[in-house]
Amino acid sequence: MSKKFVLVFSLIIVASMMLAACAKPAPTPAPAEPAAPAEPAAPAAATEADCAKPEVICIGLVTDVGEVDDKSFNQASWEGVVAGGKEVDAIVNYVETKDAKDYVANMQLFLDKGYDILVTVGFALGDATVEAAKANPDVKFIGVDQFQGEVVPNLAGLIFDEAKSGFLAGVLAGKLTKTKVVAAVLGTDLVPPVVNFNRGYVAGAKWVDPEINVISTYHPGGMDVAFTDPDWGATTARQAIGQKADVVFGAGGKTGNGALIEAASNEGLYCIGVDTDQWETVPEAHKCLVSSATKAISPSIVDLIKMAKDGSFPGGNYIGSSALAPFHDFEAIITQEIKDALDEGLKAYDANAITLPEK
Amino acid sequence: MEQKTPSKNNWLMTIWRTIRVPLLAILSALLVGAVILLVSGADPLKAYAALFKGAFGNANYLKRTLEKTTPLIFAGLSVTFAFKAGLFNIGAQGQLLMGAITAGFLGFAIKGLPPVLHIVLALLGGCAAGAFYGLIPGLLRSYSGAHEVITTIMLNYIAINLTDYLADGPWKDRSGTNVIARLPLIEDSARIPFFGPVPVGFIIAILIAFIIWYMLERTNFGFEINSVGLNSHASRYAGMKTKLLMTSALVVAGLLAGFGGSVETLGVVGRFQPGFNAGLGFDGITVALLGRSNPFGVILSSLLLGAMKGGANVMQFDAKVPHEIIDVIQSMMLFFVTADLVIRKLFRIIKDTGGEVTLTAGWGQK
Repeated sequence: MSKKFVLVFSLIIVASMMLAACAKPAPTPAPAEPAAPAEPAAPAAATEADCAKPEVICIGLVTDVGEVDDKSFNQASWEGVVAGGKEVDAIVNYVETKDAKDYVANMQLFLDKGYDILVTVGFALGDATVEAAKANPDVKFIGVDQFQGEVVPNLAGLIFDEAKSGFLAGVLAGKLTKTKVVAAVLGTDLVPPVVNFNRGYVAGAKWVDPEINVISTYHPGGMDVAFTDPDWGATTARQAIGQKADVVFGAGGKTGNGALIEAASNEGLYCIGVDTDQWETVPEAHKCLVSSATKAISPSIVDLIKMAKDGSFPGGNYIGSSALAPFHDFEAIITQEIKDALDEGLKAYDANAITLPEK
Repeated sequence: MEQKTPSKNNWLMTIWRTIRVPLLAILSALLVGAVILLVSGADPLKAYAALFKGAFGNANYLKRTLEKTTPLIFAGLSVTFAFKAGLFNIGAQGQLLMGAITAGFLGFAIKGLPPVLHIVLALLGGCAAGAFYGLIPGLLRSYSGAHEVITTIMLNYIAINLTDYLADGPWKDRSGTNVIARLPLIEDSARIPFFGPVPVGFIIAILIAFIIWYMLERTNFGFEINSVGLNSHASRYAGMKTKLLMTSALVVAGLLAGFGGSVETLGVVGRFQPGFNAGLGFDGITVALLGRSNPFGVILSSLLLGAMKGGANVMQFDAKVPHEIIDVIQSMMLFFVTADLVIRKLFRIIKDTGGEVTLTAGWGQK
């Protein structure tokens, strides 16, 4: 009997080792890192157990349903927490939400340990974050993508001005175009951020040269397909290119990505991505991808963390910085003149000197 | 020890024979999970200790575990009941959603009712919606021969999209600055309360499990359901109305899942919101298989899964273990239970006289 058991168990172990070998790359790197960079930074090797002490700063992050390495909001937020944690010598940790019913419980894990700053990611956590902020006035909360209807002094809702980064993309497109025709391939107009990206884009291109013709096309389908239709994105981009457009702005998830990839399959065209630096996420578009109109989630979180430390933490809505992603391989063609135009445009935008079109 | 059983009337032996395969499957799955943890650089003992602490460590944790257990019991009973009639109810998820949204609607739309009455009314509505959603595949199966596996899978999609539409359309929460697709909060009078750390919904679930057990084991209806499940041809020959029985089995299954969804809305979430009931119906299949299609087994396996779900976040927080490991362990359990031949071979259980379970008539049989 015992012999058999040894055999059985070794079999299971071998089998699971094979399993683990396959599974390893995904789960391990993420959880190992958070503790590592933070602990040496904290004075006198403070650990999580010291979070309750006032001199030790601890920053926690609760994801929306999903993982911290999702190449999107959760990941960008976590990167912001790690970078911000380094700036203020803090201990950082995260919990990934698996079940939407656990938002409150996951926040409570950090609150019980005496964490000082809590970052919650995604508008779905909005209500739970407001409640937790009211119940814990000594803890600072940062709600990513959470619009605040009322001001809670210790809660900053980090939201973004999409029209601003769209405007910069428009200025860039206006400077790059030779045919005086630029295109935008967009997800549905049912979603305000998408519309704002386009309003900014149109305004930016026209700001460079009112003669420029902007062909903007919204996906005609509903929410269920508008962001997941790369074929439509590609077809629409092709049509715009047929009408002499030589810069394509793709804003709308996979639909926009389809437009970027289509532009990359033509010679001598430029394309501009959206939300994150799409150089990292859509390598197929490297041939044309000049830049991306991003929401600067990570830097904004770093700023908020610093403000939380020095006591200037803003309650209510905090509009995060919007910017263009690096130019990567196209650095050479971005002349000083274009850079100056971008700076000038940014100043004009910040001075409210730009009128945005309706749609 | 587990092979020869001289005393047939020894009930302990009977129980052991019934539960040994699932028990060994659970242990094997935990073992595999431990090895994966070890290989990925974590301490399995620490991880499991944190998991246990997160599930039962204090009154709050226990409350959450029981909250997570409750819908699993209902979904597990739903799948179990259909199993007994030889039907594979993949549609528990859809039925649960229909129950959850109906209860959520009745919970906020009706105002001014006394608490108990409001709860009962919302529960009844949820049950009816679930039952109706079980009636459709039931009728299709009995009178057109469309296989319930196909129809219930399709109905799941319909339920997901219908509830999404309602939550983002006619029934959407229009209060304040809300932009999220969800229903308004239910009235306080519709909230299912707590009994200390124990959700009343959990107590209801246990009661329902007893009722289902009684129905299946002690009533004519249950006997007929069982015999249809074992052999529908023989049952028809014996004069049973097999079509009606199959239909009613899916109606009861739908009712149970809808009940679970209603309790979830009224007792835990407090409103219907898409995504908050994700996967519960499918976990019901795991629970039913792990519980060997026995209502009491369903309670135990739901508790196990509920504890794993409840403790997962503390495990991640304290032991730095990603919660995906819980999915791996759960899948391994299901794998070992369904492929129980593997367990039998591994642990030399050659013949199993006590705990044989016919799960479903399967494909190609009518």
